[in-house]
Amino acid sequence: MAALPHAAPRPPEGSGGWGVRLAAAAVAALLVYLVIVPLVLLGVSSLRPTGFPLEPGLTFGNFATVYGDPRFPKLVGTTVMFALGSTGLALVFGILLAWLIERTDMPGRGAFRMLVILPMATPPVLLAIGWAMLLSPRTGLFNLILMDVFGLQSAPFNVYTLPGMIFVESLALVPTAFLFLAPAFRNMDPNLEEAALTSGAGAWFMVRRVLLPLLWPAIAACGAFLLIVCFVVFDIPGTLGMPARIYVLSTQIYYLTADSPAGVPLYGQVSALGTFFLLILFGLGYLYYRFTRQSQKYRTISGKGFRPRLIPLGPWRWLAAGGVTLYFALAVLAPLAILVWASLMPYQTRPTLSSLGLATLENHLDFLRNARLITATVNSLTVAFFAATLVAILSLVVSWLVVRQRAPGAQLIDNLAFTPIAIPGVMLGVAMVYVYLTLDFVFPIYGSIWILVVAYVTHYLSFGSRLANGVMVQIHPELEEAARASGAGPGRVLRRITAPLVWPAVAAIWIWVLAHAMRELSTALMLSGRENTVLPTLLWDYWTGGEPTRAATVGVWLIVALAVFLTIWHVLSERSANTRAR
Amino acid sequence: MLKVEHLLKRYDRSDPDAFAVRDVSFEVSAGEFFTLLGPSGCGKTTTLRSVAGLEMPDEGEIAISGVKVYSSSQGVALPVARRDIAMVFQSYAIWPHMTVGQNVAFPLEAAGVRSAQLKSRVERALEMVGLAAFRDRPAPMLSGGQQQRVALARAIVKEARILLLDEPLSNLDAKLRDQMRIELRDLQRRIGTTAIYVTHDQDEAMSLSDRVAVMSNGRIVELAPPLALYLQPRTAFAARFVGQADLLECRVLGRDGDTAEIECALGRLRAGVLPPQLDGPLSLLVRPEHIELHESAEPGVNRLTGVIERIVFSGRIVEYFVRVGERVVRVQGTSRAMFAAGRTIGLHLPPERCVVVAGALPAGGAAPH
Repeated sequence: MAALPHAAPRPPEGSGGWGVRLAAAAVAALLVYLVIVPLVLLGVSSLRPTGFPLEPGLTFGNFATVYGDPRFPKLVGTTVMFALGSTGLALVFGILLAWLIERTDMPGRGAFRMLVILPMATPPVLLAIGWAMLLSPRTGLFNLILMDVFGLQSAPFNVYTLPGMIFVESLALVPTAFLFLAPAFRNMDPNLEEAALTSGAGAWFMVRRVLLPLLWPAIAACGAFLLIVCFVVFDIPGTLGMPARIYVLSTQIYYLTADSPAGVPLYGQVSALGTFFLLILFGLGYLYYRFTRQSQKYRTISGKGFRPRLIPLGPWRWLAAGGVTLYFALAVLAPLAILVWASLMPYQTRPTLSSLGLATLENHLDFLRNARLITATVNSLTVAFFAATLVAILSLVVSWLVVRQRAPGAQLIDNLAFTPIAIPGVMLGVAMVYVYLTLDFVFPIYGSIWILVVAYVTHYLSFGSRLANGVMVQIHPELEEAARASGAGPGRVLRRITAPLVWPAVAAIWIWVLAHAMRELSTALMLSGRENTVLPTLLWDYWTGGEPTRAATVGVWLIVALAVFLTIWHVLSERSANTRAR
Repeated sequence: MLKVEHLLKRYDRSDPDAFAVRDVSFEVSAGEFFTLLGPSGCGKTTTLRSVAGLEMPDEGEIAISGVKVYSSSQGVALPVARRDIAMVFQSYAIWPHMTVGQNVAFPLEAAGVRSAQLKSRVERALEMVGLAAFRDRPAPMLSGGQQQRVALARAIVKEARILLLDEPLSNLDAKLRDQMRIELRDLQRRIGTTAIYVTHDQDEAMSLSDRVAVMSNGRIVELAPPLALYLQPRTAFAARFVGQADLLECRVLGRDGDTAEIECALGRLRAGVLPPQLDGPLSLLVRPEHIELHESAEPGVNRLTGVIERIVFSGRIVEYFVRVGERVVRVQGTSRAMFAAGRTIGLHLPPERCVVVAGALPAGGAAPH
């Protein structure tokens, strides 16, 4: 209610004692090691003839090879088209979905809001495999059905194309866009719109001059974020693009390391390509940062808790509900159904009543007797558990230092923790290779599951620290000051007051990282050795090795696990939001 | 200027007894400052928003300067933008992506006013609220009181016939609220607009309004100018809601022209103000500041004897809790003449300030804060 209520009051800068300073220094050093060292080695590697950072020689040959390649402009063009196309589609549908669910009287809004996490529980690689089974030109189910019904000579759709990749990627990204934009729609004081109407503005004038400008920073931030994701993503271009020799930056990097025509990984070229990649991503990361700052500036205040004004859609409401249902059918139901079907078949076959007789649990029973599968399951769980736990702890410490203590160097720590968001999984994998081949004598973890833990901690810290910051800012410092005034030392304040208050958020971070580490494919592929096979890499091996039914089986169980984790996450996040709202 | 007839709004279509507003009718003349006063949930904001067109009533008629803007019988419901109104919101609703000047210019742009004229009108409006120097300031970089003024300027720039104000002062701190109250009243007089004001604050309602409608449970229970509402309320609810009051259940023994002989817990008294109907439960209202205290008890009409049980001194006011027989009566005096606790004292309840009101309220019920 007071004036200028935007920024939460903070203790003065540098208020901590020696303990805080020491903690800040230790965290900063750790982050430099996790984030900066790999990037530096990546840069050094790009200038080495062999691509290995410690080997002698200095050359710009790698850059010449990569950027002089006549196919380079096409590579960039494909990447940009893929990213812009997927982002654009996902944004349009995400905005529509957020508006329908948050601001209209569409039937089933509550249920749809819950269902939104389902597509997120589906790893992109499985969505791609599911759609390959539905729309591949030779065996795709939808293609076969359409050919039967309309008597076509050839398949009407081919998912192994750029439009196919864009279609599947945007299906996967709509929930992310929704989760980004829904709060913007929900938290906007409806009085702002009503004030425009009572000022004499018609509906369209109001939308153009008030609603869209107010939402613009949120939409722009969301767009920048989605662009980053699309530039980075490996799963879908890897599954749908590589078989048709359609390469984007991330798959090109994978190709140069795993599949190169030279027979050995071309690390030098990978690093040279990576520097270009990183430049684009840091640019986008900066844009994202700018837009989020702006959207926070627009955050509106309001006296009373407002009832959002729901717009009556009239007869259109059923059409809207139908459209949203169709989205869920395409993004979840159809690919999931075909995966379940495939997992029950001894070989890939078209779903018919007659082939139902072939159904068997053989693939599923593999989980009990196939040593490779069992090892991968144990590895996946171990990696996910440690990565999640470490990220949760580190995020809490980082945001406590940054937001609450305003420790010296807080800004640096904050930026370091956020940087990995712009490092693609394949690049992080390559950088990890450099670090741990170089430091093998200190940390002999190359080829083990621990290198995956380190990589995931680095990667998911960007998300974890953001979430922890958000919660930490909203917990009023007076709560801690009251504890201090009651005679509690800093340790006791953290233990008894701060930690319990942020606990729901920490739990949410933990589960989220657990789920994402379980499904992460690109980094794991780059770092895969004989001992550290995890479920996603095994699934990839099965799929690319021509065993689609086994791949489908692994996928089905992965989705089940993720759905459970993400449901828990959803519940915890809601609860954390409630705690904050008091 | 504004005519509202038989306005009715249900919460919930399926429940025929859940009303937000039931059968509300009133008329406001040009230039009048009219207030809807009541506790939260009484239907005052719903009524105001129905006039604005932000809420769709279920039944009734609303006309603004002769133009039907809503009529359930004729099937008329003019969109908000085409009603001759301007509105100030409780949250101010200042658009954060615009400067102060852009906020104020918006209604003129929506009306298609040309730029030369627009500029001078924006400037005039900002001058009126004392924000001329802030025109190019981004709107979020203002204090609460300044945002309030921007909201006002944005409302008056349109020069609409009716200004609707939904608890515009409730987000300000007490001092600023008093100051803005005076400014608001001055401004409304100067531009001569008709104002419909919604509040739960009786002081605001009293000091601002030409007439006040007290609402409860979706109905207008009493409609009168502030002075009459305070001194001669007709209902126990209104008596309780505007100002402090201990109500005593009473019955009328005999009527004598404009006055009546009544009996209540304090004994037999003469009351000088009576409600139009004397049937149903009745209560006696004597406001604490109207009771006179005397050194010694004297015989006479409406004169009583009591013992001071407790004194609460709060500066401007001294409050005595005086026991009279079974009851404790609250009396307010000033610090000019003080009486000590425990002493016996004479009370005088002037008959012209003894008001019989319809209805009875349980002690402590529906009291203003």
